[in-house]
Amino acid sequence: MNILLVEINPFVQATTPISLGYIAAFLKTNGFNVKILSIGHNTSISCNVFSRTVRSFQPSIVGFSAYQRNMLYVTGLAGLIKSIDSNIKTIIGGPQATFMPSSALKEMPDIDYICRSPGEVTLLKLALAVDNGTPFSDLSGVTYKDDDGAVYDTPELDGFDDLDKYPSAYLNDVFDYSGMTEAIMLTSRGCPHNCIYCYTPRAFKHKITFHSVGRVIDEIKWISKKGIQKLWFADPNISFNPERLVEIFDRILSENLELQMWMQTRADLVNLELIKKMKSAGVSTLAFGLESASEPVLNRLGKHISLEKVSEAVKLVQSQGIEVELFTIFGLPFESLEDAVKTLEFVKNNNVKIMGNTNSQQMQIYFGTHIAEHYRDYNMRPSNNSRPAYLSIGSQYETSYMCSNEMHEMQKLWKINSLDGGKRIVS
Amino acid sequence: MVSPVFQKIYIMLGKSDKENLKRICSVLPFLFSHSNMTSSLYIVMENLPESMPQVKTIHKEINKFLSEFLFVRLFVHYVHYVSAKSLEETGFCYQYIKQMTGDFDKEGYMYQELPRLMLLPVIAPDSQIKAFPFINFLDRLRKSFFLSSLYLDQTALSFAQDEKIQSLTEKNYFGSGNSGSLQDIMTSMFYQDLLDNSLNIIDSSDMNLNVQCPACLIISAQDGSIYSCMDAFQKGEKLANIDEDLDIDKLMSRGMLIDRSGKNCLDCRERAAESFSDSPMSRDTMQKLGALLCHFGILHQNDEDYLKAIKRYEQSLNISPIEEAGRIYFRLGFCHTNIGHYDYALKSFASAEVACSGEYYFYFYKGVCYFGKGDYHTALQEFLHAINLNPQQDDLIRILIYAGSCHNNIGEYEKAVILLEKAEKLAGRVKEIYNALGFSYFKLKNYDKSIQNLLIAIDIDPCSAMDFASLGSNYREKGDFEKAIVMYEKALEMDPDMTVAMENLKKLEKRV
Repeated sequence: MNILLVEINPFVQATTPISLGYIAAFLKTNGFNVKILSIGHNTSISCNVFSRTVRSFQPSIVGFSAYQRNMLYVTGLAGLIKSIDSNIKTIIGGPQATFMPSSALKEMPDIDYICRSPGEVTLLKLALAVDNGTPFSDLSGVTYKDDDGAVYDTPELDGFDDLDKYPSAYLNDVFDYSGMTEAIMLTSRGCPHNCIYCYTPRAFKHKITFHSVGRVIDEIKWISKKGIQKLWFADPNISFNPERLVEIFDRILSENLELQMWMQTRADLVNLELIKKMKSAGVSTLAFGLESASEPVLNRLGKHISLEKVSEAVKLVQSQGIEVELFTIFGLPFESLEDAVKTLEFVKNNNVKIMGNTNSQQMQIYFGTHIAEHYRDYNMRPSNNSRPAYLSIGSQYETSYMCSNEMHEMQKLWKINSLDGGKRIVS
Repeated sequence: MVSPVFQKIYIMLGKSDKENLKRICSVLPFLFSHSNMTSSLYIVMENLPESMPQVKTIHKEINKFLSEFLFVRLFVHYVHYVSAKSLEETGFCYQYIKQMTGDFDKEGYMYQELPRLMLLPVIAPDSQIKAFPFINFLDRLRKSFFLSSLYLDQTALSFAQDEKIQSLTEKNYFGSGNSGSLQDIMTSMFYQDLLDNSLNIIDSSDMNLNVQCPACLIISAQDGSIYSCMDAFQKGEKLANIDEDLDIDKLMSRGMLIDRSGKNCLDCRERAAESFSDSPMSRDTMQKLGALLCHFGILHQNDEDYLKAIKRYEQSLNISPIEEAGRIYFRLGFCHTNIGHYDYALKSFASAEVACSGEYYFYFYKGVCYFGKGDYHTALQEFLHAINLNPQQDDLIRILIYAGSCHNNIGEYEKAVILLEKAEKLAGRVKEIYNALGFSYFKLKNYDKSIQNLLIAIDIDPCSAMDFASLGSNYREKGDFEKAIVMYEKALEMDPDMTVAMENLKKLEKRV
């Protein structure tokens, strides 16, 4: 049975869809034939080519990575797929899907399932059901809509705590390397913290799980053999276990792997020794989440980090010749325009270049975040109540402290100070 | 067969083209379905107010297609002149276009993303237009659209210096044609975009310019012709006519993508770089363009097309920063050396001295020039300097052979033998070494050694007339005239015009 996995983000260049890669590798090792399509603004693909791909590959299931920003495109592509063959089952998964209201399925006529649990095990269960000709029986980890349009939730599915049990997307060769210049790595999943604006902690049940050092190195060696030296680590807190990270760096050094790496972590999870090791192993950029440089605002985000700590970490990293990026957001609860300006000033005063990921953006209120569930408690007012149920509030809100005009002001201010016109690398 | 995916479609509107327009609109859904999910449509026209009926008709098709395919994004560029008289009316037309496409703005708002239909004016102001009303016009447009781009021909170049106008401008296109026709505007825009694309590539890590230019299709509503790329449009190589029954497979089998091989696209990229090298541009862009022209020089140099390489290096030098010039001068000198222009080469090398004085190859190629000019003493000095700078082994062998040959040419045969035998130890069997050693030993009257080396040279290259003739001379000196005659005869079999062999053979035959 064939399964097509699609990632579409037409606002940026296509990247390595690492999450779909994991799912593809898992399904492949369980006997399914999987194809991945990653569509960015630079991908050479037309409606005609897409239709031909679907017709010739004849997938029984098409899965989409769903984000707030690509929902229109995902539902549009699902419509085209159903017009080609209405028997093809369509499923959305990813950050937008996990906590999307079940009722949203009624507003997405061409989507059959919403994935709620870890993609690998959930998709396998679904694939087996579809393969058996019983697409709505014995399912877990999904919300589905049956042929009569009735919507049902199914029990949750647990993923593996030992990430090595998931076959590697790289070692199983599920990606096309021809246009790849940078590989995305995921050596750990989840985050144990409680930042109120973030989807990750709840999605991963406040746990963090890891790949073994051996597995990480095997993947890096494989990627290097393919001629790719740039690695982008998507782990939310790469140095959560510093001993493990040092071991990874030691192995990179002993294997003489020449790499250029981008990583992100918390400012309170680094020290001089670790940063020196990062430098010698080839880390070129390290990103920290600052979010806000207004102490009262920061203290209410559940992040539990101090400005002193961030400042200290930035200096430490810069002293070793590693570029620093700071993730910041504005439009936060209890944040006034004056508070938001302090964040910009903090970034400038700490000599962090305002470009790439340091370009700030307005906070997005995503499904599954603490703030999405309690926005009223934070005096946040959605400004568009007619949006479809599959979209979260996103950036369409005002607060008691900042109106939408002030948020636009803030966006402009960051853009004026930006060295690259305000283009973020990740969103 | 892989279907083409168009990145850009250009429609050049005419005045009396109702039927053609109807046909164009009927094929637009077909063309959009073969366009990239994010693509550009350029509507090129004399002026917007007069072309509004056509623009409206085209927009109906656009709206229909985008409403059906919710994952398609389209950037529509309205490319047209404005005059002082038509400013106000043009502004009204834009307001109307905005209303016509408002649903996509609402959709963008709902989905919290940029609208799928992006409207991008490209304004070509005529020479009579004054700055103040033009600023007002651009400012009004800015309120509803993204910043406009400008197409500036020679008469409107002053707008590129006007700070206020530039603050309301996304990009300047510069006219490279003379007529100011729609064709000129369209080709200038295409080639300038292609140049920007090449500059981005040269700025990236892979620097591979041998990639196809963005696939495009050009439709002339004036006569209904379709062209497969801008190069074909300029050459008048029509692909099809709009009233034909268009089928993508048929078009491809007809050779739609012929001549869109990497080589031809590379030619277009090169032409684009050349044609805009004297347009006004920022210092940063100028530097990148210098690097791009130099890169084209390197590609020609690698293909051993030294004349083309020289042209590009010279263009690059005109705009490259001084700190880059030394390396380019060296490449220029290298190319001149390879076509025997030794004086030009040495002049270029002199300008490369500061940048390259620590590099062995700099002295090596200078040596080759002096060698080529017959100045063996100076050449020898350069080669010895190069040897002292620890060249790579392959180059060291070549330098030793050259240096040995210099000694031979100035009569220092024993010194020549030392260098050539060193080269032999490093290189193994290289014909030039044995040939030169044969000459050195002959001059040193060590005929056995000379014969020994020349036999190896012949073993490596059995067709070397010169080595057979040299063997003949050695046998002659040893008094073995019969063998000498055989060798001269062999030399003449290979090169019947070899005077030395002919003369020696005559003399020997008389003596025998």
